[in-house]
Amino acid sequence: MSSFVIIYYTALIAASCLAAYYKQRNVFMLLFSLTLVSFVLGIIGGAGALRFVATASFILALAAGTSYAFREFLILISKPGLAKELRTAPLTAAFGMFVIFTYAIAGIFAPWIAPHGEAEIIGQAFAPPDENMLLGADQLGRDMFSRIIYGARNSVGLALVATLLAFFMGALAGLLAAVKGGWFDQLMGRVADVIMSIPSLIFALLMLSIFGTGLHVIVVVVAIIYSPRVFRLTRAVAGNIVVMDYIEAAKLRGEKDWYLIRREILPNATAPLIAEFGLEFCFVFLLIAGLSFLGLGIQPPTADWGSMVRENATLISFGDITPLIPAAAIALLTVAVNFVVDWMLFRTSGLKEQ
Amino acid sequence: MHDKFKDADVLLEIKDLKIEGYSDETWVPIIKGVDLTLHRGEVMGLIGESGAGKSTIGAAAMGYARDGTRISDGSIEFDGMELTTASEAERRALRGSRIAYVAQSAAASFNPSHKIIDQHTEAPVHYRIKKRLEAQEDAMELYERLRLPNPGEIGFRYPHQVSGGQLQRAMTAMAMSCRPDLIIFDEPTTALDVTTQIEVLAAIRDIVDQFDTAAIYITHDLAVVAQMADTIKVLLKGEEVEQAPTQVMLDSPQEDYTKSLWAVRSFNSPQRHRPTDGSQPLISVQNVDAAYTGGVKVLDDVSFDIYPGMTVAVVGESGSGKSTTARCITGLLPPMSGQIMCKGEPLPPRYKDRTRDQLRQAQMIYQMADTALNPKVRISDIIGRPAQFYGGLHGSALKQRVDELLDLIELDPAKFYSRYPPELSGGQKQRIGIARALAAEPEFIICDEVTSALDQLVAEGILKLLDRLQDELGLAYMFITHDLATVRSIADEVVVMQHGKVVEQGPKDEMFTPPHHPYTDLLLSSVPEMDPEWLSTVLEERGVDNIGEAADP
Repeated sequence: MSSFVIIYYTALIAASCLAAYYKQRNVFMLLFSLTLVSFVLGIIGGAGALRFVATASFILALAAGTSYAFREFLILISKPGLAKELRTAPLTAAFGMFVIFTYAIAGIFAPWIAPHGEAEIIGQAFAPPDENMLLGADQLGRDMFSRIIYGARNSVGLALVATLLAFFMGALAGLLAAVKGGWFDQLMGRVADVIMSIPSLIFALLMLSIFGTGLHVIVVVVAIIYSPRVFRLTRAVAGNIVVMDYIEAAKLRGEKDWYLIRREILPNATAPLIAEFGLEFCFVFLLIAGLSFLGLGIQPPTADWGSMVRENATLISFGDITPLIPAAAIALLTVAVNFVVDWMLFRTSGLKEQ
Repeated sequence: MHDKFKDADVLLEIKDLKIEGYSDETWVPIIKGVDLTLHRGEVMGLIGESGAGKSTIGAAAMGYARDGTRISDGSIEFDGMELTTASEAERRALRGSRIAYVAQSAAASFNPSHKIIDQHTEAPVHYRIKKRLEAQEDAMELYERLRLPNPGEIGFRYPHQVSGGQLQRAMTAMAMSCRPDLIIFDEPTTALDVTTQIEVLAAIRDIVDQFDTAAIYITHDLAVVAQMADTIKVLLKGEEVEQAPTQVMLDSPQEDYTKSLWAVRSFNSPQRHRPTDGSQPLISVQNVDAAYTGGVKVLDDVSFDIYPGMTVAVVGESGSGKSTTARCITGLLPPMSGQIMCKGEPLPPRYKDRTRDQLRQAQMIYQMADTALNPKVRISDIIGRPAQFYGGLHGSALKQRVDELLDLIELDPAKFYSRYPPELSGGQKQRIGIARALAAEPEFIICDEVTSALDQLVAEGILKLLDRLQDELGLAYMFITHDLATVRSIADEVVVMQHGKVVEQGPKDEMFTPPHHPYTDLLLSSVPEMDPEWLSTVLEERGVDNIGEAADP
């Protein structure tokens, strides 16, 4: 029995007792089940397993604490209307917002944050981490940490632009289809069907092989691949709105389609569209990362998380986790965005009940 | 009449019930201490405006609090059992077997993918009261008692295969399936036409009598509750106003609020007559036939005239083509043949082909103010847009016009100018709808069931407002409604429609004095009156098997 184990159990049991004494039912349940789990794990895995459990719980608690503080911070600095909405956000959503906020800061201020340039060779290939390079060097001796920071700017920025373009095309087509109906609706619907019937990755590979791998080509191809999804959602949402009496009233007034879309439909369709935006952003981001991994996305020496995984893939066979760091960055952002989107979806569906 | 229940056992006793609802992060009281005592076999009518807490009390009688509400204080004792402290399992065991519930919309309450009789037998089989076959036989017997056509066969249909009135009766039968001690009727006839309503009312009253079931009858229609209830309790904003036996309540209400409810139906606008100088009608519908794409004819040779400054009420059951006529006039549905004339000139059949001025002439006020106003647009923009669009007003002139319009509909401009529709009450929303129509400065307004979604007091206010505006601005109204009380109070001329045809038309005074067309007669005599004996009298006159749909010639 090491002193760590004794301190660990003492702390847990003392905290459980305190929680029980102060009638904090949920906290007590959490702490005491953790104690029981640790007990079983401790018997099976020894002190090592306990250390792992303790670290994991500590990280979780830290994340929860950060999220809580970040939410309170947002509530304090925002306007009363927004603050009221934020108060309904669960901790997961606050965590998501915190992660997105961090990524945004990293992306925007990349040249100031990163200690080295993204293409600057400063060490040996696959050099281990030292005081100069926080995460070691990649296969050409470039600083991994700096490249990750620049990657936030390149990967996320590109995905953002592509998603925005997909939304612009899809939403516009969807709204027009809903308002005009008839042959225009049919035509748009069939075009969307055709695009969706082609497997997206194969379509992207084909297009990129034909037109080359310029950034603008990637943006346009990815936007075309994802706009049908946006089109279908927008058309469905707008389809429910155009049957409302207020649209009929506006039509009978003699309003043009553009006015209907802009002033009558769009304000009522924003909530589901924003939620969909978050979701689509994840897919676009993953597709671009996937393309980069295959060598057809963002071209070297520009730092990009997808291609960074591929470049360092050889290290996996040596049991090194370096190639997993950019992958983890991708995963974390995707999870964070989904946390926020979940909350938004919940909110919009809650609004419908009123 | 009240003494009848003095000796009967108390079935349900609610004492000082308080219910709170969660909104804006605080619990606000909805029911503020209501007492209710119901004896075995007694029918109590709960009436009040929407938001008075009628349905909430109805649900509480089953020990149930809807999502977002909680029973905060008081006791609910059902047959010696305290429901507020009972476990969820105990309460669930009561529901369906000893307390049953009949909802407002049977169509929404039946599961569309199961046969009616399967849904009927679910409760008795679940509670092991009857075997499935026994329960089915019992269902057929109940269907027969409720005078459903083909009682042996109707249960094997799916809910969408029977009419609304039949479905409502099937639901009453379902509530009866376990022979409960208490049934809660939550506005069971509100969504039905008058001719259908009468047969559902008769069926409910019969079956409650036959099995000596106690019932809570929730409604906002006084005339209906007068037919059904032994006792009436009036509620206002979660508090009891007064309670008395039906006859006493109708003859001599004590409280001012109750008196105002009773007085609602007294509003009457003096009847106007057609101009005799041979001037042209403002709107003339001439031999219009119409159908929706690929469907059967919905309108068949419909013709009538609307003269300037007059109100023409178009009445009929749902599905009779009233609203379709309105769609033809506005140009949303181009007629197959016939035409719409405006001041002697034919209007283009499609609204898209009409000029801005022609569109301005005919405005519309909708039934559901909720869907008629865009929830994300400010009141000032909703009202201001037509003024801007047709009148070209901008800046301060536009603001002044909006203020003027808000004054006209008796809403304070300073308070409502920058609000959004969801922040308004039903009556206020309907007023905004009126203001939007007025903003176009039309000569003719189509009012599509404008009061049917509103409480009687509020509806009364809207009718008075419309009448005042008509006098001040010389408007002509086409008033689509199925409520003959509204027709009596506001119409100058009446057009009766059935199955897409005009069966009778003429000035109001002639239409309301016999002899009538048989269908007009049926409509008129089906409107509930404030006399508790009215239903019995009508049933006697028509014969038991000859009411409602059955009496349809």
